[in-house]
Amino acid sequence: MINDKNSQKIVDIIQNWSRKHSIWVLAYGTGCGAIEIPPTMTSRYDAERLGVRGAATPRQADVLLITGYLTTKTLKRVIRVYEQMQDPKYVIGFGSCTINGGMYYDSYNTIKVLDKYLPVDVYINGCMPRPEAVLAGFGKLQQLIAEGKANGATKYKENLEWYRGNQKKIIPNWVMPEYNW
Amino acid sequence: MNMQEIKENLITHVKANFPEAAEKEFDGNRLDFNVDKQCIPSILTYLKDRLGYIHLSHIACVDWLEEGEFEIIFIVWSPEEKMKVFIRTRIDREKPVMPNIDMIWRQANTYERELREMFGVEFIGLEAPDEFLLEDWGGPPPMRRDFDTEAYADDTFWHRPGREDALDVREEIIRRSREEIPDFAKKYSR
Repeated sequence: MINDKNSQKIVDIIQNWSRKHSIWVLAYGTGCGAIEIPPTMTSRYDAERLGVRGAATPRQADVLLITGYLTTKTLKRVIRVYEQMQDPKYVIGFGSCTINGGMYYDSYNTIKVLDKYLPVDVYINGCMPRPEAVLAGFGKLQQLIAEGKANGATKYKENLEWYRGNQKKIIPNWVMPEYNW
Repeated sequence: MNMQEIKENLITHVKANFPEAAEKEFDGNRLDFNVDKQCIPSILTYLKDRLGYIHLSHIACVDWLEEGEFEIIFIVWSPEEKMKVFIRTRIDREKPVMPNIDMIWRQANTYERELREMFGVEFIGLEAPDEFLLEDWGGPPPMRRDFDTEAYADDTFWHRPGREDALDVREEIIRRSREEIPDFAKKYSR
């Protein structure tokens, strides 16, 4: 058992180094941005050389990509998916719709600010962001992971009540299981 | 038979059975009939069973806010005659009630549920008690023209500050490139 502070630091560095090189992205697309993921993953841009690859289920994935606008109906599913993911987990907000609503700023059915509902580690702006921008976003996430600053999941656990309050404001009929970590 | 003969034949047949149906001709393969709402199931059954209009393309709704009416439009298609027929009817906007046609085409159920949610049109005897697209919806039907979507979004969702002083991009582009706005585009300018 390591309880020495310096030894823990070394372990953290090794952990973060290995985490940063195996980012598995959940194959779950919301909105129109999911169309940029196949070119990012396939041979032209080949994100797998950076360790970014698809994962089939939430429990195998590290990164949840919110690709574009998020309707209130999808938000329910996204929260459920996010809570099923295992640590370490990160959220990337993808496209301007997740940042400030984008072109759906006056829509009756999409949320405008994603970080009120889920802890976002990296935002990628653009409508749509090209694969270069997506790769730059993943590079930024890798940098944050290596520095130990990508702690959105911790933030979510610590401020769970605040996030739940915001989520329940949008979803009044809350019939989802309550996860406790 | 060419298209004109098909149209005349169709008008004769429909008029013989539904004398109050008002037809309106269009270029190409389209023909409209304005009917009363009680006639809708019978005229659609007649078109489907006797005249070969076996495909229901769409059910749409138009909100005539100024006239206080909804217009429900059924589009049917005949694959043999390559002809589409629009059946239009007007209903009251305050109490929008329509006869249900999902025993004629089963897939009409989906369109009717959508109209019920988006416009608040009630179809009598529609077997679909649950919600369709809008989960946990509390507001008025959102596709009605008197629904203010921006005000609803302001009430319900957070907005990230910073959009208020957004530039009119078109004017900025014109200032940089010294181009004129064409006349037809001026009405879209803010």
